[in-house]
Amino acid sequence: MSIATTESRTPPGASTHPLAGQQMMGAEMVVQVLADLGVDTIFGYSGGAILPTYDAIFRYNAKLADDDAKRINLIVPANEQGAGFMAAGYSRASGRVGVFLVTSGPGATNCVTPIRDCTADSIPVVLICGQVPRAAMGTDAFQEAPVFNIMSACAKHTFLVTKPEELEATIRSAFDIATSGRPGPVVIDLPKDVQNWVGTFQGEGLLEFRGFEKRRAQLEATRLTDEAAAEFFAMLAASQRPLLYCGGGIINADAAGALSEFARAFRIPVVTTLMGIGSMDTTDDLALHMLGMHGTAFANYAVEDCDFLIAAGSRFDDRVAGKVSEFAPNARNIAHLDIDAAEIGKVKNVSWSFVGDAKVGLSDLTAYGRRTGFAKDFSKWVEHIKALKRNHPLDYNRESPLIQPQEVIALLSRITKGEAIVTTGVGQHQMWAAQYFDFVNPRQWLTSGSMGTMGFGLPAAIGAKLACPDKTVICVDGDGSIRMNIGELETATTNGVAVKVLLLNNQGDGMVRQWQRLMFKERFSGTDKTMHMKDFVKAAEADGYGFAERVADRARLQETLERFVSYDGPAFLEVRIDPDAMVFPMVGPGAGYKEMMLGPYIKPREARDEKMGEVKADLF
Amino acid sequence: MSNHNGNGAPDNSWHVLSVLVENHFGVLARISAMFAARSFNIDSLTVGPTHDPTCSRMTVTVRGESRIVDQIRRQLEKFVEVIRVEDLTEAGPFVARELVLVKVSITQDSVTELVDLVNSFQPQIVDMTLESVTLQVVATPERVDEFLALLESHGLREVARTGAVALMRGAWGLHQAALAE
Repeated sequence: MSIATTESRTPPGASTHPLAGQQMMGAEMVVQVLADLGVDTIFGYSGGAILPTYDAIFRYNAKLADDDAKRINLIVPANEQGAGFMAAGYSRASGRVGVFLVTSGPGATNCVTPIRDCTADSIPVVLICGQVPRAAMGTDAFQEAPVFNIMSACAKHTFLVTKPEELEATIRSAFDIATSGRPGPVVIDLPKDVQNWVGTFQGEGLLEFRGFEKRRAQLEATRLTDEAAAEFFAMLAASQRPLLYCGGGIINADAAGALSEFARAFRIPVVTTLMGIGSMDTTDDLALHMLGMHGTAFANYAVEDCDFLIAAGSRFDDRVAGKVSEFAPNARNIAHLDIDAAEIGKVKNVSWSFVGDAKVGLSDLTAYGRRTGFAKDFSKWVEHIKALKRNHPLDYNRESPLIQPQEVIALLSRITKGEAIVTTGVGQHQMWAAQYFDFVNPRQWLTSGSMGTMGFGLPAAIGAKLACPDKTVICVDGDGSIRMNIGELETATTNGVAVKVLLLNNQGDGMVRQWQRLMFKERFSGTDKTMHMKDFVKAAEADGYGFAERVADRARLQETLERFVSYDGPAFLEVRIDPDAMVFPMVGPGAGYKEMMLGPYIKPREARDEKMGEVKADLF
Repeated sequence: MSNHNGNGAPDNSWHVLSVLVENHFGVLARISAMFAARSFNIDSLTVGPTHDPTCSRMTVTVRGESRIVDQIRRQLEKFVEVIRVEDLTEAGPFVARELVLVKVSITQDSVTELVDLVNSFQPQIVDMTLESVTLQVVATPERVDEFLALLESHGLREVARTGAVALMRGAWGLHQAALAE
């Protein structure tokens, strides 16, 4: 395809930017536009091909007084992947765009994982990668990688800046694209000679994308029609047992308030996905916490029992609907609200859909229902839900002398009163944290849901703490996950970022071990870490943690957790947990909810044998 | 794309998607990578400039159930640089054409027989030697398939196909409709 000129979409008339018309380097334009967009923190690692832009940040800050709020805080990770997850944590906690800045080649390729992670969880971030000069591109130059090709396959959108005159508009458009519609990451591949180019700063303007703008304008203007609302309420009226199934889309759309209002107005219980945790106060009567593979028994029973399923900002992913044909088998109707038209009918056919902003859709539904005086009584169903919660709560081994991980999380949740921001790695500890923590508000639960990236927790916590310095931020991690980005322990102390790192150490990759136990006859190939030498507490001490402790004694657990949470500064606590603890409930991969395994401590509603060895190993 | 619903018999009808895109660097690479990543089985994908230098047009032919084709359309519409997607097979009557070049081995005796055989496809002879003839045919993709099937046992040596291009019949135009204010 040929390379044609894109006109920058600068409206007629002089720009009102105070610096408009000035001569600037490309690198200076990058920093100026980032500052104009309100960027206060950049996560990143320098290197040859991005040096001019790092220099421009230095010079930008040097012109400002030390206490000037406009200064751009530069946080340097141990590895570029860490920068990416810091930007993601910053974005997830605050709703603002996270920005990271790296060099070409390995700098850029180290960012592939966070970029894909952000696409998979719909997180708006912008990555700027240095690239070798345009003339050297394609020659296998030093630290050259085909970033446009690699990132195009992973990101929401990728730019390669080939025309310096388009640079400043490209940066603005990247933010615009990252935050519009279904949010996601945008990558800008920026050749070094474009950073060094000098041109006239416009101070405004975006690139023109005609179809995108038209579709976005339509999406943003979409309201629920009265006809569609009437159809929805006809289905709700025909229903005895409606259930809301809410995902990360509720968090992204800042629709938690609208969801709670809708649910409470018509007394409809709510289950959330892993990504949707926090879309409704988990302690609310109507909240059933998480559904799916490791959802609560009562949430999964409610999905089995419901006759009308209302999906909002969720997408019938395989961790929720492992066996699509058996998912919500008694639902005579399914309604689906999503901002991404491609999600409607992708996995499951639905009877009713609304493509648009979840906040708009839910508020319009509430307004219509109130206006028309919809008052169907679902109290029998709500009573049934309450009984499910009462009779089939999460539970674990309370007799063991060993510390149970569920107990640790439950204690921590009580100590932080459901108000801490919690990040995790991936595996058993992530599921225990999802199950046993309470969250009063959205954007408190930051986890790599779709990609399932081990090593997410620590850098995400650093980013979240920088975005929300007044909140308690706890990284709940596992010994496998924390090793992935353990270099970032030092990043927290270097920058005085007071994260709390809670390591649940079970000396191995617990979740994989659990699957090996269930499906591979206990052949623990590659997942045993009992011979690993690392002393995590010494590692934390070496990285400057003023609080670095280990607890293995149940009697000391609560007292230690309390000191850990109240410690003023970065804190590290390793808890030696029962290495054989398992995550229950568990709906095996590819299985329906009626095959849910509850383990030895959760009460099933029908007496039946749990055949744990029958899960098929070829399903993921 | 897997289909978990399994409602009714599988439908494998033809679909022709006409896709107007911004004429930018890398659009084709991005879109073809999406088809691969999502395991969409595309029969052909063509791209070329249009009378408007800011736009290119892609034509995608795919055989599959309409809900999968619909999913392809929706995935295409997620690209920032896609201006408009139209499933011509749903939108109304359209004309699709493909050009094929075929090299066939000949002998002095077989050449008239060959010309008679393929006459109904109105081939043009674009190159000829004592051992080979290269024919050009412009037809619908289905007719091109038939043409090639016919030649299979008559010395077929090489084939180059362009993939289909297509336009709606009648005055309506995708470009005009997409860019109208």
